Amino acid sequence: MKTRLLIANRGEIALRIIRTCRKLGVRTVTVYSEPDQGSLPLRYADERYPLHGSTPTDTYLNIPKLINAAKETKCDAVHPGYGFLSEDERFVRACEENSLTFIGPSSTALEKLENKLEARKTMQGAGVPVIPGSDGPLKDEDSAADIADSIGYPVILKAVYGGGGRGMRVAKNREEARRFFRITTLESRSAFGRDEIYIEKRLNNPRHIEIQAIADKHNRIVSLGERECSIQRRHQKLLEEAPSVALDERLKKQISDAAIKGLEASGYSNAGTVEFLLEETGNFYFLEVNKRLQVEHLVTELTTGIDIVEEQLKIAETSNLELSQNEIRVKGWAINCRINAEDPRRNFVPSPGRVFIYHPPTGPGIRVDSALYSGCDIPEFYDSLIAKLSVYGSNRSDAISRMKVALDEIEILGVPTTVPLHRELMRDERFVQGKFDTTYLNEMLPRLMSTIYEFERIAAVVAAVQKTRNPSNHHLMKGHMLVSRWRAAARTHMASSR
Amino acid sequence: MRRFRVLVNAKSYDVSVEQAQKGKFHVVIDGAPYEVEGVTDLEVASWIVKSPSETLHTHAKVVPVDRVDVWIADMPFQASVQVVGIGGYGIVPEPQRSTSSGQVTALMPGRITSVLVKEGEVVSEGGALLILEAMKMQNEITSPISGRVKSIFVQEGATVRKDAKLVEIESTEK
Repeated sequence: MKTRLLIANRGEIALRIIRTCRKLGVRTVTVYSEPDQGSLPLRYADERYPLHGSTPTDTYLNIPKLINAAKETKCDAVHPGYGFLSEDERFVRACEENSLTFIGPSSTALEKLENKLEARKTMQGAGVPVIPGSDGPLKDEDSAADIADSIGYPVILKAVYGGGGRGMRVAKNREEARRFFRITTLESRSAFGRDEIYIEKRLNNPRHIEIQAIADKHNRIVSLGERECSIQRRHQKLLEEAPSVALDERLKKQISDAAIKGLEASGYSNAGTVEFLLEETGNFYFLEVNKRLQVEHLVTELTTGIDIVEEQLKIAETSNLELSQNEIRVKGWAINCRINAEDPRRNFVPSPGRVFIYHPPTGPGIRVDSALYSGCDIPEFYDSLIAKLSVYGSNRSDAISRMKVALDEIEILGVPTTVPLHRELMRDERFVQGKFDTTYLNEMLPRLMSTIYEFERIAAVVAAVQKTRNPSNHHLMKGHMLVSRWRAAARTHMASSR
Repeated sequence: MRRFRVLVNAKSYDVSVEQAQKGKFHVVIDGAPYEVEGVTDLEVASWIVKSPSETLHTHAKVVPVDRVDVWIADMPFQASVQVVGIGGYGIVPEPQRSTSSGQVTALMPGRITSVLVKEGEVVSEGGALLILEAMKMQNEITSPISGRVKSIFVQEGATVRKDAKLVEIESTEK
């Protein structure tokens, strides 16, 4: 491919995009903030361009800087990854105005879907069911509370320009509707740069099901099947799988068809995901369109064998979709665990810091998407997602068994992560049987805490043994950073062979 | 046999360690048995811990003076280890329990996006004090106790380090 691509993102997703580009022979330029100077994507990109600054606003959210970076490095296309500016209509427009191919939908399609209130109208027009909610944005705390009263509790306050589960709060009563108006507005401003929020009815214990689709510029659309994303905490997905245990063939087709109709009506092109909430009754409702490559796209790649980033690049270059619906086969089962730098003991507070040992698991059916390495820093400025651990199995129980093994092997020492949570999930009877919905995770958290208390005892055991073995530690007191075991082993080897 | 008193997260455990053979230890903690086997002995040592119910891969490192850092399933634990006796009996005083204090510190580095209280204001336990933004999340920082806001150490827009003092609450309960 002739493309020269600017990657307007960081971390694992920047690296993931670079990998496909290297395979296709697409030249890449990665931009980076000051805290990301030592990050892994920089090593594998063909060129690097500094953005100067640390905060997202100064760097990965700064449209003029990014456009300038693309022009100075003579790029002809931009891949936005997920988050940051990936769904920002102003950014897409700026790319279009500067003759840069944006790897994603057109600004017109984005505009139709970016505003969630508008998106609801488009879907309704296409005959896709939507959740009851407010028609326009909320004015203030009082009007938020009044509208919530009229819809009936519980309700969800959502950013009109939101997405990815950010800028959302559930209010169970009038007092909360008032209080969360403020926090949601702040969160929306900080994450999306826009204030407007609206209200939707909260459904009773729904599942979160989404359809991965790819569309070309001639409105030809294929579905790559569904993903099950019901394992969530505070609307943040923590585990995804493909396919879903909750759908029979008939429901799979109904939801897939609805997704395709919705995307057709919005003139969508490139990779996109239509999210739905599914009630136990089999009724499903449109939630939102994710107008970008998604975090969890890799489970679909595992079950279909399609490289979604490759398809994105091809469609952007040729305008045409080479895939046709009848050649797409969903085979086997894939599960992805999101490993976030968050402390499960302290209500999942973000835990940035230095990772001094990173050892990813490997073996048959295991894929790890991550930009971690031993000695890397996890900056406090950005998302807490640091690794995606995915497995593929011939069926769901096979995949779960593999995930158990992989979770036992992974080592990320230095910052607390969500690994203990995933270990607990893999052993949980309800998860193993597939009987869960979006409220399930909160119910199993107390069990996780009891495991962590058991860990405290084991920590006491190990501490005592370590002290028995190693009562003094003079060789460690030099104060330098710890090196990885591999490097330590290499040094020993070098020393002995000298 | 060595006996220790180990403190993890303010909980105290009585641990006895007996070396079964080189690199293998038999440990009893509050009456429960564990087998611990050393895998590597680098700066960060690896240990396999076998309890009757499961096997865990763990890591540990001694930190001056009496601290040992332990990692289990990526989760760090800090243990303070005191030798109680070698082979026989010994006594060390019970550790002091920290009482719930009114010091509110930052659990993570980040930026203060809102200060929701004023000095002198009366707050109840769990009441919102500040909003701290870190990793794109707005975290409501709540009061650990009921009382009066004695001092506020930060302003809106301030960037704070981990463990920075944010607010001090004076208990009104006597």
